Amino acid sequence: MSMRSTLETLERVNSKYLMFHAKTSDTDPGDARFLFSAKDNLTSKDMETCAGSRILEGYFPPFDATVIARMREAGGKLIGKTNMDEFGFGTFSTNSGLEVPRNPFDLERACGGSSGGSACAAAVFEDHPSLGVSTGGSICCPASFCGVYGIAPTYGRVSRYGLIDYGNSLDKIGVLSSKAGDLRRYINIIAGRDEKDPTSCVQPELKDERTPVRSVAVPKEGVEGLSKNVEAAFTNALDELRRMGIEVETVDMPSLKYAMPAYYVLATSEASTNLARYVGMRYGRQDGDLSLKFDDYFSDVRSRYFGDEAKRRILLGTFTRMVGYSDRYYSKARQVREVVIDDYKRVLRDHDAVLAPTMPFTAPRFDDISKMSALDSYKADYLTVPANLAGVPHLNVPCGYDGDGMPIGMQFVADHWNENALFTMAEDWEKEFDLRRPEVSA
Amino acid sequence: MKIGLEIHVQLPTKSKMFCSCPTTEAPGPNTHVCPTCLGMPGSRPVLNRKVLEYGIMLAKMLGCKVADTAWFSRKTYFYPDMSKSVQITQYDNPIGEGGVYYLGDKPIRITRIHVEEDPGKTKRTGDLSSLVDYNRSGIPLAEIVTEPDMKTPAEAREVLKSLIEDIRTVLDIPGDGERSIRCDCNISVGKERVEVKNVTGLKNVEKALTYEVVRQSKILKAGGKVDRETRRFDEERGVTISVRKKEFEADYGYIDEPDLGVYHIREMAESIRIRESPQKMAARMAGQYGIDQKMAKQLVNTSVDLAGLFENVAGKHGTQAAVKWVAGPVSSNWKSLDASGADVKGVIGIIDRFVAGEITDTECGIEIKCLMTGEDPEKAAEASGDLDKIVSDYLDQNPGIVDDYRKNEKAANKAIGFVMKSSGGRYSSSEVVDAVKRLIESRL
Repeated sequence: MSMRSTLETLERVNSKYLMFHAKTSDTDPGDARFLFSAKDNLTSKDMETCAGSRILEGYFPPFDATVIARMREAGGKLIGKTNMDEFGFGTFSTNSGLEVPRNPFDLERACGGSSGGSACAAAVFEDHPSLGVSTGGSICCPASFCGVYGIAPTYGRVSRYGLIDYGNSLDKIGVLSSKAGDLRRYINIIAGRDEKDPTSCVQPELKDERTPVRSVAVPKEGVEGLSKNVEAAFTNALDELRRMGIEVETVDMPSLKYAMPAYYVLATSEASTNLARYVGMRYGRQDGDLSLKFDDYFSDVRSRYFGDEAKRRILLGTFTRMVGYSDRYYSKARQVREVVIDDYKRVLRDHDAVLAPTMPFTAPRFDDISKMSALDSYKADYLTVPANLAGVPHLNVPCGYDGDGMPIGMQFVADHWNENALFTMAEDWEKEFDLRRPEVSA
Repeated sequence: MKIGLEIHVQLPTKSKMFCSCPTTEAPGPNTHVCPTCLGMPGSRPVLNRKVLEYGIMLAKMLGCKVADTAWFSRKTYFYPDMSKSVQITQYDNPIGEGGVYYLGDKPIRITRIHVEEDPGKTKRTGDLSSLVDYNRSGIPLAEIVTEPDMKTPAEAREVLKSLIEDIRTVLDIPGDGERSIRCDCNISVGKERVEVKNVTGLKNVEKALTYEVVRQSKILKAGGKVDRETRRFDEERGVTISVRKKEFEADYGYIDEPDLGVYHIREMAESIRIRESPQKMAARMAGQYGIDQKMAKQLVNTSVDLAGLFENVAGKHGTQAAVKWVAGPVSSNWKSLDASGADVKGVIGIIDRFVAGEITDTECGIEIKCLMTGEDPEKAAEASGDLDKIVSDYLDQNPGIVDDYRKNEKAANKAIGFVMKSSGGRYSSSEVVDAVKRLIESRL
């Protein structure tokens, strides 16, 4: 499909899948070398940026995120801002205050989240890199549900300037695509130091080289609680890896089960401070009743335009950092993070990557999601959260399909700054794996 | 009675603390702003390292232990002029801790000093409306917290005054009036502590504290109990007003600022040398040159440069010459330097020539004065000749004054009064004082 025909059919394709909140109306690619899309929490001068929240409706940022600027400089044309859970708060993109993207393999099912629209776009469009953001698994989860490759690089590898924050110590910008080679290509474009984000300035150089994975560790804790079809696909994938000459060893990583509570404490603590700035002034929704006192004014705006999950996380995060509780929760969670990092370091001394399924089940149906409690959906992230908490790079590769044809993914985790192992793994796997593309008709 | 202060000082950086907006006078409201200091979604702070340097300088000046590492925290509260509803400050690791500041011989313990960003300004424009100006948002501040070591409102004012002078010298901040000093005042007459927030200026600090002394004393005398609370000072009415009781004290839910890392500042701290503060300089000069405290303070308070010139001349020609010329005509004409724009170092050459015997006592005095004021030397010599003649004639007629002067310098006042009166305002009082003292001393 040419760039022009992609642009010409954009409107129709989007009305079917709802992957974009804002999108270009251009039908002429001009001198663009490639088309790309970006999660809607990455600021773009020319497109409304809402991070999935109604409270930001009408926000046209005065600046481009560094990643978007770098993609544009490399000849990319931004075609749309992808739908997501509000501020990244979710696993299925159903916590969006705007549109909920639909799974390209079954419109009745979710794309995963929170970068659901990005995974959807990567699956639907050919040759289409989409920028996603992962805080607790928001790249690998939707990549798994939509059957595409997706990488979240090491924390600090890619500048977060222009990212609308969820949890600043956890947020990582990465790439999703149906082509394994795109991960290397586009991470190399967006990575590197940026003086506008000090946390990006301590990274070692990302060299363009092949680093084959020779041995993987599969944690016992990572293969518990899986659905039958995921377990079966994963077992087959392990056989395939052995056939490729990769050593597979089962290991213990006892810290992984503590990662989940620690993650939710840290992420919500930070999120509750990040969301404090949305008071109905200066940008986004500003249509509150100005005759009210300031406290009442912003409480009213926030009550009306934040979704339930945003409110839940603000309350959780405010609680965990209160005087008298912060030692028990916030400080403790930071200690747990260190323990999890140590556990990865220990295992990665003897192995090139840690491997487990990405999600314990395939993309659920919307009606099933509506029956899940908040806690149920938090729990669904138990396989993706530990690597995110540790800030180590991780990769989803499609590894099979269930009886309904829904994609199944597995997640490789490498050591800090070793994205090359993941790029190489994805490229080698792509040669062996028969990737299915969804049938796209618009 | 116990009084402790929390003093906020704006640091003289060229750009703001976390963005590159200028800190200079802005052409209008909300003109020195950018996505970062406006807290726009997606923006991010980048630390201006100069802030750490200034923080270290103040910590050293106050004799604090300087931290080896620095990091920042988020203090969350909702106020329209705080653009992110989060203030980036230092919470659990201030840049300096445990210092002492001396007001004369009296030690005032310094609890801590930390750096943080200033919020914008809210301006009430009517009963139902306010405007917010974010030009100030993100300007770096140092907050200095003292122990409750002050005993009276007047003493608190003295401490604050001298501390601000020292800070201005050490950080090289031009005097910009006392309005830029903001202070939280903690005062307990009995057991309970009351905090008066955000008082601006020295006078108001003393007024607010005095008001609290009276208020709390009355309550205690009547057998009542002072509430532990936060109050604010109403400048117009000169009273403090309760803002919130202790049980409603805000919980700021501090967490570390994840966008800024940990700064290893040990080497930076070791390499920073600070200027001697005026109070320390005066104390040292009194001891080193055997001049009295009052003269040393007067020199330093007039200008640290004047005190420096004194040291220069004293080093070259002895303390006596420095007292005679620097504490004499140089000091009394110091203010005219601003208008004349002269380089005061030229004074040294004049004194050199006097010591070498090339010019007389009188000529030396005139040359110094002319250098500093930019007056024409010939006219000045003429006028001064007249002045010297009037003084000499008077002393000739009243030789007893010289004898009295030996016992008490105040004897000169009689001659000064006569000359002022008889010359009918042709000479300034400082000129007359100089001439009388100089001519009496030449007869001793």
